Amino acid sequence: MSSRRGFLKSGGLALFGIGIGGIPTFLKAAAATGKIIRPYKKKKIMVCIFQRGAMDGLMAVTPFTDEHLKAARPTLFMDAAKSGSNPLIDLDGRFGLHPAMKSFEPLFRENKLGIVHGIGSPNSTRSHFDAQDYMESGTPFNKGTGSGWLNRAVGLMGHDATPFRAVSLTSSMPRSFYGDNPAIAISNLQDFGIQMKGGSASSTSMVSKSFEDLYDQTSNGLLKETGKESFDAVKMLKKSNVNNYKPENNAAYPTTALGNSLKQIAQLIKMDIGLEVAFAESGGWDTHFNQGTDQGIFARNVTDLSNCITAFWTDMGTTLQDDVTVMTMTEFGRTVKQNGTGGTDHGRASCNFILGNDVNGGKVHGNMKPLAIENLEDRRDLAVTTDFRSVFSEVADMHLKINNDSVLFPDWKGEKIGVMRS
Amino acid sequence: MKPILKFIACFCTISIAMVVMSSFFEGSSAKPRFSFPYKKAGLNDRQAAAHLLSRFTYGATPGQVDEVVNIGLEKWFQQQLDANIADDSLNLLLADYDAINMTNTEVAKTFLNNGQVFRMAIKEGKVDKDSVNKADKKEYREFVQAYMKEKGLRPQQELYRQFINQKILRAANTNNQLQEVLTDFWFNHFNVSITKNDCAEYIPAYERDVIRPNANGNFETLLLATAKSPAMLMYLDNFTSAGENTKEMMPQQRKKIEQKMTEALGDSAVKKIKANKKNQGLNENYAREVMELHTLGVDGGYTQQDVTQAARVLTGWTLYPFTEYGIGSAMKKVIEKIGEDKLVQRGFVHEGDFMFAINRHDNGEKVVLGKKFPADGGYEEGVDLLKMLAQHPSTAKFISKKLAVRFVNDNPSPVLIDKMAKTFTDKKGDIKEVMITMATAPEFWNKDALREKTKSPFELAISSVRSLNATVRQPQQLNNWITKMGQKLYYYQAPTGYPDRGQYWINTGSLLNRMNFGLALASQKIPGITFNLAALNSNHEPESAEAALTVYGKLLMPERNLDETVKRLTPLLNDPNLIKKVNDAADKSAPPVEATAAMQSGDMMMEATDGKDQPKDKFRKKANGKNNSTMDMQSYAGNTTMLSQVVGIIIGSPEYQRK
Repeated sequence: MSSRRGFLKSGGLALFGIGIGGIPTFLKAAAATGKIIRPYKKKKIMVCIFQRGAMDGLMAVTPFTDEHLKAARPTLFMDAAKSGSNPLIDLDGRFGLHPAMKSFEPLFRENKLGIVHGIGSPNSTRSHFDAQDYMESGTPFNKGTGSGWLNRAVGLMGHDATPFRAVSLTSSMPRSFYGDNPAIAISNLQDFGIQMKGGSASSTSMVSKSFEDLYDQTSNGLLKETGKESFDAVKMLKKSNVNNYKPENNAAYPTTALGNSLKQIAQLIKMDIGLEVAFAESGGWDTHFNQGTDQGIFARNVTDLSNCITAFWTDMGTTLQDDVTVMTMTEFGRTVKQNGTGGTDHGRASCNFILGNDVNGGKVHGNMKPLAIENLEDRRDLAVTTDFRSVFSEVADMHLKINNDSVLFPDWKGEKIGVMRS
Repeated sequence: MKPILKFIACFCTISIAMVVMSSFFEGSSAKPRFSFPYKKAGLNDRQAAAHLLSRFTYGATPGQVDEVVNIGLEKWFQQQLDANIADDSLNLLLADYDAINMTNTEVAKTFLNNGQVFRMAIKEGKVDKDSVNKADKKEYREFVQAYMKEKGLRPQQELYRQFINQKILRAANTNNQLQEVLTDFWFNHFNVSITKNDCAEYIPAYERDVIRPNANGNFETLLLATAKSPAMLMYLDNFTSAGENTKEMMPQQRKKIEQKMTEALGDSAVKKIKANKKNQGLNENYAREVMELHTLGVDGGYTQQDVTQAARVLTGWTLYPFTEYGIGSAMKKVIEKIGEDKLVQRGFVHEGDFMFAINRHDNGEKVVLGKKFPADGGYEEGVDLLKMLAQHPSTAKFISKKLAVRFVNDNPSPVLIDKMAKTFTDKKGDIKEVMITMATAPEFWNKDALREKTKSPFELAISSVRSLNATVRQPQQLNNWITKMGQKLYYYQAPTGYPDRGQYWINTGSLLNRMNFGLALASQKIPGITFNLAALNSNHEPESAEAALTVYGKLLMPERNLDETVKRLTPLLNDPNLIKKVNDAADKSAPPVEATAAMQSGDMMMEATDGKDQPKDKFRKKANGKNNSTMDMQSYAGNTTMLSQVVGIIIGSPEYQRK
């Protein structure tokens, strides 16, 4: 319960500005104990995007000098040679970024965007369900882990929290958020409030006030505290006028599911209500059929992914960019060889993107070997050369300043790879 | 020893005879052999009945407290444990749901995903493999639809919709409430998830054939049934688990089988199977979870070594192939070719959907929890292992605690758990007996156990429709709300099942949705969920908001002390000034009230206070005339909006979240 009370101590102070009922007594009391030094201390924020369906990392970031890949993908391979119609973006003479992700290029050149290639799970399952489950629980050989790694991360931050510390912009709680620490799953911030279909504003207010009073008087501590938090939160959101959000710096969010999620995460961040871990999803990566090259399904997916992230980053502006790190993840990669239907099947390693001012960017990290058959896992897939936990833990540890990997990723004793600047 | 045995045998015979005789003479009015110690806890009959109903049903229906008092609390409980009350009206409601009665084989043949449909079409030469890729999405969709129609195939979503709807209808309507509550408990204990495609379509049969019939039966039987069910075998991957020391066949025999396989499947398919086989090995998932989550508990005293050994014991436990298009379809052909009787001779076991494939079973010696399983134990050693786990003292404790958390409170007393665990062991996992021990314990009736549990979103939704005697015509609408409140039925991904604690269910987002659910339901804004509020109160209309609160509070939450609630809310409901204050404080950017809409909905509160709208009838004139004073409550009488708001507030209130 301490984390719940924490809300009253830290983020709850934001209520000062709302002007409903003056300074809440609990804040007066908390202030009197001297526990509050600063009313609100800005926190670091980690935004995780799960690409469900398994992204073809070899198409997103292609080792274009690799002849084996070229041979294995007669119609899917793209080159960085400028002679081509729409070439890959040559990052470092070896890896080429998919042309549809051109908005990522400047971020990479500014050393803010880092890429890890050959990332994946030590468990070789090629089942979407199992691989996502393992990646989100953070325990690749143990299905019974009740909690998700992001929920454990939240628990390790060692300071008081607001109800908005961990927010998932999804309709139901993602596996990564399962656990004992309070977390919220909400697909639309506008839903956050008392709603009466067809009811007038005044009757809604009356009913809302009734609920507030009832929850205030209940003898059940959990309901009482959560009730208080809920109504405080409603007021905060109301004040910040969620319906009419205007992104800053001309940031243009695509009107897609991911775009909406990231836009709302940006709103929460700007509201200063204590968001520290945010989660969003991107779908459509299971490209067994006709995945396309510079055009097509895959191209559309990476356009959306990169444009959404870039818009979010732009929206954050220089004032907030220091506080935010964005990390993508996907359950596994896809086969080196293209299949008979213009797509790729379930494979092993993929790549991921990490964006932030404290990221060791401008580099493709990892240890990818030439894609000769003897270097492939099970003679077919890009081998996992970087355990996802070494990257996730490094980003979480360095950015969120947590340091207890035995809790974050039990059974893991690996090394960090230097994807963050120390 | 012998005389003692004789005495025991004699005693048993006599007691059995007595039981038989008593039931013969007294019929169904036999007095249960236990009694509930609620009077010692200071509760009267009605209070005790209300507590029983709140824990062992999905909520009391109007008048049910009196019914239970009349039947007798103990007798009612015994009836619920026996779970053989006729359910005619429920069966009528479920009559339209054909999919929920299908076998796994029928399901697998009827509900195909698009990929399966396609493979089938390609196989039948209805579609050319390459043309598929050129076809655009719309064309592809249309083809799939037409082909499915032609073949009598149906989309998998329909199966899940029927399945979820039946859960809602059952919970809301069955007379055997406790069986349904226990079904939910055991399903969650042995959780499987629709999120995992491979097991999803076997889940309806899993709940119907494995969980529900055993929910108030014997734990060991239940455990074995789950272990052998396709849903669990797929969900925790045991279906693929193969051992290293498989029984070596004679070279001649092997050759013969390979020949038969080639005849059945063709050369390339056999090569593929052989290659796949190389990738298959021991899978520990089920072995670990059966100990950690299903029986012993995480601190139950097993090691990683035990997990690996148990996994070896269970190698070869898999499912019998259902169809020509699903998993194991190649296997099916091979079995048919070789002949099942020949396989059985070799040690194969085929029981319903379960198959023990001895060719994948590790035949070496194993040791689990100190017990030796000698080499060549076959199928039986798996059964022995599960029985050993079911009877383990750690299991008795673990299961007892979990039941107590579900039915008593989130932190049950160790004394209670010990009592239940003793019964669990003494009665060899008899679930009814454990339930009786729990319900007859003083801890169950203790004042601090009352109202201490928090309803899950599902329980909140179902108890609301039960309290209101509502007719549920569109269960999926209720399901949408249950999902919104944080419980996507059958989609909990982890094998742990939902954590059964208030703290899990109650968070900032979900709590507001509970309130909104109350308001939407009470104002009959949830499509397909209807009820008659006036009829609940024998068509007596409450004279004031305060009266409505008191009367409907009692109807919806029998035997609860609602004085404080009424005291808190009455001024708010009665005082237009306060409402005005709230309005003034409300967000100025709130959308302007649409007068006509408000009038149509008969929104008297608003009319009475802001006075912006022209009064249309007598009441409005009156109310406006009395602006800023206590409203004439007589005029509320016909106002269903007032009443539904009050009822909505009751359902969303903290008191109603508790059980």
